[in-house]
Amino acid sequence: MSAGGRTPPGKPQTRALNCPGCGAALTVRSFNNAVTIVCDSCHSILDAKDPNLQILQQFKAATDKDRPHIPLGTRGKIRGTDYEVIGFERRTIHVEGVAYSWHEYVLFNPFKGFRYLTEYDGHWNDCSTLKALPDVVSFSSPPKVKYLGETYKHFQTARASTSFVLGEFPWQVRVGESVEVSDYVSPPRVLSSEQTGNEVTWSMGEYMLGRDVWKAFRLPGSPPEAKGVYENQPSPMSGEVKSIWLTFAFLLLALVVLMIGFDLSAQNKDVFTGYYKYDSNQRGEASFVTDDFEVKGHTSNVELKTTTDLNNRWIYLNYALINETTGQAFDFGREVSYYHGYDSDGSWSEGSANDAVAVPGVPPGRYYLRVEPEGDPGHGMTYYTVTVKRDVPQYSFYAIALGALLLPAILLSWRALSFEHLRWAESDHPMISTSGGDE
Amino acid sequence: MMRILYMLYGAAVLVGLSIAQYQGWSLARVNEVKNVPRSVRDNPGSYRSVYSSYHHYTGGK
Repeated sequence: MSAGGRTPPGKPQTRALNCPGCGAALTVRSFNNAVTIVCDSCHSILDAKDPNLQILQQFKAATDKDRPHIPLGTRGKIRGTDYEVIGFERRTIHVEGVAYSWHEYVLFNPFKGFRYLTEYDGHWNDCSTLKALPDVVSFSSPPKVKYLGETYKHFQTARASTSFVLGEFPWQVRVGESVEVSDYVSPPRVLSSEQTGNEVTWSMGEYMLGRDVWKAFRLPGSPPEAKGVYENQPSPMSGEVKSIWLTFAFLLLALVVLMIGFDLSAQNKDVFTGYYKYDSNQRGEASFVTDDFEVKGHTSNVELKTTTDLNNRWIYLNYALINETTGQAFDFGREVSYYHGYDSDGSWSEGSANDAVAVPGVPPGRYYLRVEPEGDPGHGMTYYTVTVKRDVPQYSFYAIALGALLLPAILLSWRALSFEHLRWAESDHPMISTSGGDE
Repeated sequence: MMRILYMLYGAAVLVGLSIAQYQGWSLARVNEVKNVPRSVRDNPGSYRSVYSSYHHYTGGK
C-alpha cells in the first residue's frame, strides 16, 4: 500500500477561493504546495497551480459514500510533529476479480512537508517518501529489496486505480488513473513502489494501531476494528519465538544436568534376587514369602523386575512388598505374557517374557516379598526370577518433563506460524498454496 | 514477559521433576496397605491381595 506522488513543500499561504464548477467556497490549507484541489461539492478536480483553478476533471460520487475517518482539516501529532489532514483518496486494486480498496490521507506540515496515512480494514500505516532508492537483492525468490540495512520481502504487485478523491494533493491526481504498486514488507515496515511509465516513486510505511491514530488526532469514538492480518502488521509473537526457544535450550540443558546428577547419585542397586518356579497344574496354596532384605537410603522407589521363560503363555503375579517392622505393604499385580507365532501376515509377537515396575515412595527398612503366582491350569511349569533394585531413576519423568517444556514453545511457534500464514495468504507468495503458488 | 513466564514455568517443571526423582515417584498403580499382620510371614495364604482374581490376559493373536 502506498502514498502518492511527492512535491517539496513551500511556505504556506491562504487564499479565498471558489470552485469554478459550482461556485462553492474552497478551503485551501497548503496553498502553494497543492498541485490539485478537489471540490467537495461538485467533485471537480482543479489545477491549484492555475490562478483560474482550471477544472482538470469532474467525477461522480456519492459524497457520503466514502467519508474519511479523519475529517479534512483535523490536526494531529505524528512523531512529535503537528500535521493537518488536507487530502483523502480511495484506491482500489483487483485481484482475481475481487476489488480491494484502501484509503490514503494526505497530511501537511508547513515546515516538514507531506506525509501520508493509509488505512485498510482498520490497519493503519504512517508513510513518507524515501530519500534514497532501495537496492534490489539479486537472484532472490521471492524478490527482495534492501533499504538502510533492512531486507524487505516482496508481498504483492498490483495495478491500483484512484477511485475517489477529496481535498488537496501535492501531485496531479485524477480519478481513474492507475499505477503499478509493489509492496515489500519487513514488519512493522513496508516499502512501496509506484510506477507510472518510467517514473518510480518509493515510500516507506510503518504500521500504526488505530487507537494510536485516534489518540494522535484526538478523534471521538473508537477506530474501526482491524480485520485479519495485514501485510506489515507486526506479529504479537515476533521476537518471542526466538527467546522462547533459547529459554527452552537453557531449560533442556538444566534437564540434562539434572538427569546426569540423579543418575550419578541414584543407588540403582540390587537388594534382592530370588529364583522361583510355578507349576500351574499343581493345586493348593501357591503364595509364598521371600527372605527379607534391607532397603537403604532416603524414601525412594524400588524397582521389581520379573524375568520369566514364558513362551506362548502368561503368568500373573500378585506382589506385596511388606515392611517387616511397620507392617506397611505395597500391593500390586503384574501380568507377564509372551505370545508369538506365524500367520498369513507373517510372523507376529505380543508382550514380553520380562517385566519391570517401580514401586514409589518406599521408606528405608527391612522388607520381604509376598508372591502369589497365578496361571492357566495346563500351562505347566514357569521359571521366573524376581530382582529388587533400590532407587532407580525413572526416565519416563524426563520424557514427561521434556514434553511439558516443549509444549509452550511449540504452541507459541505454531501461533507465530499461523499468523505468518494468514499474512502471506493475501500475498503473491502464499506460504501454502492451494493453486500452485511459488512457495 | 512471555520469556519470564516460560522460565518460571520451566523452573517449576524441573523442580517437580527433581522432587519426583528424589522421592522415587512412579507411574505404576500400587495399593498401599497399613498394618499387615506379622503372621503373613508364616502363613502367606492369609494375606489377600486386592489384585487377586484380576482379569487376566487369555492369550495371543
